[in-house]
Amino acid sequence: MATAIEFQHVKKAFNGKTVILDLNLKIKQGEFFVLVGTSGSGKTTSLKMINRLESLTAGKILVNDQDSSQIPVRTLRWDMGYVLQQIALFPTMTVAQNIAVIPEMKGTTKKEISATIDELLNEVGLDPKVYRDRMPSELSGGEQQRIGILRALAAQPSIVLMDEPFSALDPLSRQQLQDLVLRLHERYHNTIVFVTHDMNEALKLGHRIGIMRTGELLQVDTPQQIAQHPANEFVREFFGASLAQNVYDIYLGRVGLVQGYLPTAPTVAAERIQTVDYQDTLRTGFSALASHDYLAVNESGQLQGYLDRQTVMTYLSEHEND
Amino acid sequence: MNNLLQTLVERRGDLVTALWQHLGISLAALVIAMIIAIPLAIWAVRRAKLAEALLQLTSVLQTIPSLALLGLLIPLVGIGTVPAVIALVIYALLPIFQNTYLGIAEIDPSIEEAADAFGMSRLRKLFKVELPIALPQIIAGIRTALVLIIGTATLAALIGAGGLGTFIMLGIDRNDTSLLLIGAISSALLAIILSALVRWFQTAKPRHALIVFGLIVVLLGGGGAYSAYADRTETITIAGKLGSEPDILINMYKELIEADDSHVKVTLKPNFGKTTFLYSALRNDQIDIYPEFTGSVLETLVKGDSPKEMTAEQTYRLAKKRLAQQAQLTLLAPMKYNNTYALAVTEKFKQQHHLKTISDLTQVESLLRPGMTLEFIDRDDGLKGLKQAYHLDVTAKSMEPALRYEAISQGRINLVDAYATDSELRQYNLALLQDDQRFFPTYQGAPLMKTSFVNKHPQIVKALNQLAGKISETDMQEMNYQVNAKKQSAATVARRYLIKHGLLKGGH
Repeated sequence: MATAIEFQHVKKAFNGKTVILDLNLKIKQGEFFVLVGTSGSGKTTSLKMINRLESLTAGKILVNDQDSSQIPVRTLRWDMGYVLQQIALFPTMTVAQNIAVIPEMKGTTKKEISATIDELLNEVGLDPKVYRDRMPSELSGGEQQRIGILRALAAQPSIVLMDEPFSALDPLSRQQLQDLVLRLHERYHNTIVFVTHDMNEALKLGHRIGIMRTGELLQVDTPQQIAQHPANEFVREFFGASLAQNVYDIYLGRVGLVQGYLPTAPTVAAERIQTVDYQDTLRTGFSALASHDYLAVNESGQLQGYLDRQTVMTYLSEHEND
Repeated sequence: MNNLLQTLVERRGDLVTALWQHLGISLAALVIAMIIAIPLAIWAVRRAKLAEALLQLTSVLQTIPSLALLGLLIPLVGIGTVPAVIALVIYALLPIFQNTYLGIAEIDPSIEEAADAFGMSRLRKLFKVELPIALPQIIAGIRTALVLIIGTATLAALIGAGGLGTFIMLGIDRNDTSLLLIGAISSALLAIILSALVRWFQTAKPRHALIVFGLIVVLLGGGGAYSAYADRTETITIAGKLGSEPDILINMYKELIEADDSHVKVTLKPNFGKTTFLYSALRNDQIDIYPEFTGSVLETLVKGDSPKEMTAEQTYRLAKKRLAQQAQLTLLAPMKYNNTYALAVTEKFKQQHHLKTISDLTQVESLLRPGMTLEFIDRDDGLKGLKQAYHLDVTAKSMEPALRYEAISQGRINLVDAYATDSELRQYNLALLQDDQRFFPTYQGAPLMKTSFVNKHPQIVKALNQLAGKISETDMQEMNYQVNAKKQSAATVARRYLIKHGLLKGGH
């Protein structure tokens, strides 16, 4: 798969203080890549260097195999959606005008822009007739960030950068928007670089996850690899700290991720197997296992693997005992 | 109230002119201030230290008293509309600059970041994002500036720029509350209406706002173009000092000049200012002619000591000679009346103490409570010299000209300075004391103009010379009385005199 973004020995210093030491990273085209880390880890700075909101102190970043410093900054940014934690819709523009910001600059025809706006609004479940002419101040936080995402997608950019886009939202909106982003990614296949401090969010969204601490990339891997083979103690603890408060709230996908699914499909009658979603919690899992022998864990309708009582018990005794 | 309405009806023409001037000066100043302050503030937004310095500077500018500022500007740019507009612009800078600067600087940084991240150019960000967000605050600044300008613009009348201040100044000068109220109320109304209009601009649909703005520009521009067009014929500007007498005189000048040559158009600027102010206006070509007094010329305008006890003829010759030598000005032949300074008491006070002459005052010195104009108190040929010449020891309260007559009629003071032709002498039944030491110089009125103007306009000189040796003191007192007390217009009174004395054919 071709590379969308490549960091080559990137350094960043603010006022002589180094915040990114030596960052090397390849992000593939069409990949959903999540950068996760605590505050001060340099994840947001790394993100902002991609669209040159932050300059590089040394090294370079290739965007679609081109040195980004050689691409005119506006051309670069017009092909890179950006979603902010503060949402930052332009308060004097309507919903439609906000979405139209980049297509307008790129010279897309009014008719085409208008059609795109309607399509996108429908896509995120907001009726264009109702929402097109609303002002941002008339929307809820979740609705505002939907528009924020549409604004980033409107010009069909090949890359979308998201800087902790859901941190300021309530848990329900956050979950809805996470699902929405996954759906949109599936539909438009852009490369997404997503920054968060929430490991659960990272595990749920990322194809691959990069874990950062104090300017260093500690591990870049699939959620499963990170769960099962953490590179060091920090990664293990960071992952551990993302535990649910209550054992019943642990979702089944995580059990499979950490403990691993059964190596082979069970050869029992179909009625002995209960199909569940990876987002269902152990609460559901326990009652299912009371009457069934196996759980088939699905993610977006796709089978991830099978769990039995033994796997769940081993997981609980090994990982959730503190 | 009746009085107010009556004055309003009589003066409605003047009021419209004054309103128009006021509006013109105010809007010109506002637009210029906006053109300076808004781009400056936008430019300063990314330079915080500089912006701080500019804020300080504009605040300092605003603390300069307006009167002082106008005074400072006269030697630099003369008088009239230009210095008035400059002064108003200076006052309007602070609110517009401050609000524009803060309006943009205080925009949420994440919004700025979003605009940058979407690849907006500086200009696009400014017009699409920053200015729309800052607009309410900028408009608020413009409204503050507007109200400030319209209020301060009343002072423009002091330096000959006209406007509603003319009514206020005239009201104070003539102690006419109606005039004062008309000036003040109109100016307040203008501020309220325009402020509302600006607020409407903010909420109006852009198309409507554009249409109205266009209309205003066309209207004001049209007015300007019309006056420029009207200026194509030869226009002579004649100004007069404050008061009814100069007003009557310049109306006579206008009648005589225009009757003589119909191609010449005379613009009058009545109540234009005080002596030195008109003098510098004449020398700076802002006006062409104004009536001046022989005594004032020698006392204030030219250099050189004057011998005491000159006859009227000697005074005129000396004044004419010195004006020609020192300033290349020509003083035409004077009229008959001598509008000299004089001291006046009530008829009752005069008889009670058997007063006839100024010398007699020394006998009642301890009883005297004088109220005099500031100008008289301060002049060498006024109270200062008088006290020496007559060995008088009195201290006078300084009062506005019109107020001192009011005060003497109410008995709050008992001795005033006066001009020999003041209508109030008749109105309040006052008696003049004889200048037995011949202390006061002669003050004969005559048209003053540049010598170059005389050479270019022999016709006009001929027309004006018809007044030489005309108009007696009682004529003038009577005419002043008709204007001040009877509220007739100076133009009517002037015209009636000219027709009566065969200087002008009646009926056209």
